[in-house]
Amino acid sequence: MYIKICIILKGNERTLSLYLYSMQIPGTAIELRAYYTWMGDDGIGRTCVKPNVDITLEDAISNTRAVTALYVDRKFPLLIDSRSVKSMSYEARHHFAVRDRETKANAFGIIIGSSISRVLGNFYLGINKPSVPTRLFDKETEAIQWLKQFVKNGN
Amino acid sequence: MEIDFSRISLSDNTRANEILEVILSFARQDFDKKVKIIGDDNLLDGIGSGVNMLGEELQHSTISLKEKEQLLKEIHHRVKNNMQIISSLLSLQSDGVEDEKVLSLLRESRNRINSMALVHEMLYKSHNLSQIALKEYIESLSVTVRRSYALPDSVIEFCYDIGDDIYFDIDKMIPIGLILNEAISNSLKYAFPDKKGCINISLESKETKYTLIISDNGTGLREDFDVELHSHLGIQLIHMLTEQLDGKVTLESKAGVNYSICF
Repeated sequence: MYIKICIILKGNERTLSLYLYSMQIPGTAIELRAYYTWMGDDGIGRTCVKPNVDITLEDAISNTRAVTALYVDRKFPLLIDSRSVKSMSYEARHHFAVRDRETKANAFGIIIGSSISRVLGNFYLGINKPSVPTRLFDKETEAIQWLKQFVKNGN
Repeated sequence: MEIDFSRISLSDNTRANEILEVILSFARQDFDKKVKIIGDDNLLDGIGSGVNMLGEELQHSTISLKEKEQLLKEIHHRVKNNMQIISSLLSLQSDGVEDEKVLSLLRESRNRINSMALVHEMLYKSHNLSQIALKEYIESLSVTVRRSYALPDSVIEFCYDIGDDIYFDIDKMIPIGLILNEAISNSLKYAFPDKKGCINISLESKETKYTLIISDNGTGLREDFDVELHSHLGIQLIHMLTEQLDGKVTLESKAGVNYSICF
């Protein structure tokens, strides 16, 4: 679990805010250089960005391999926790746009939180235009709720 | 999203200036600079990360555009070279030919091919790869056509009245080039039995309409010459090509021949 503390200046006041950024990582999760990836009991795949990493194409490819291995013969929705991301390379963004390759994921629900993840998420949707249904969420519960519809139709 | 500038500190100000510097370098197509991401979840970190990503996208679009331009140049170059090969083959074939009529047919075909090859040559040499300056094209074409008729003792002048700022794309230039080739060839072949004269080429423009006039001060058409009856290939071509331009051609013969093509 990753906890990040931010100090926000509000005029002359100083407020200490505590953000709990990351999902609970189970012990069965596949650990990669930049991600933790695992399959949830609800049929929704999960991938969580490690704190402060610059995601490269190699990271993106190895995450795709890990996600693909979650189910052999089924498509499923994927919950992506991007709140801790620091940056993502051009090549990685285009890889995640799933334009010229097969994917097991039939929908992406991306959780955003930090200013970088917010910009990256919107940039990804607006510029890279992923080929599977994709939405950004502030809350994990809302993302899961939306992704559940793709579990039913996920074959 | 609105930014409350009263809440921006001095260090934020410095970062904002750094971001602006990076944006300006992108505008100069210099994509080496990047905004430094501190990772403090500051709003400027988000903006900086967006600027960096935008720079990467711009850099790749610029590269891709340059590659396409290069490819287009290469295609025009190859088309021109292939046309020149066909023209050279026709030239080689005419070497052993003694029949004047066959020689003339081969030369006419070569000139038609050359007039199209010139369009492709000028396109790959042009800056924007899509438009050709009409005046430059006509001047080059006239020289090529005159040379092909090899009239050593002739004093035939070309006079042009065409604006420097008139450009056409390939779809217009090919038919215009072929029309010019036919009209100039006809003048060189028939108009000046005493090998002296002048060929005038002008273009008038009114909004989006153009009138191309090719005229000579030669002998003019024979009195009994009927355009409909005399199915001369050159004149047929001029009519067909004018149709391609959605235009109308008028052929007059008073003091010489005058083709007026409105399109």
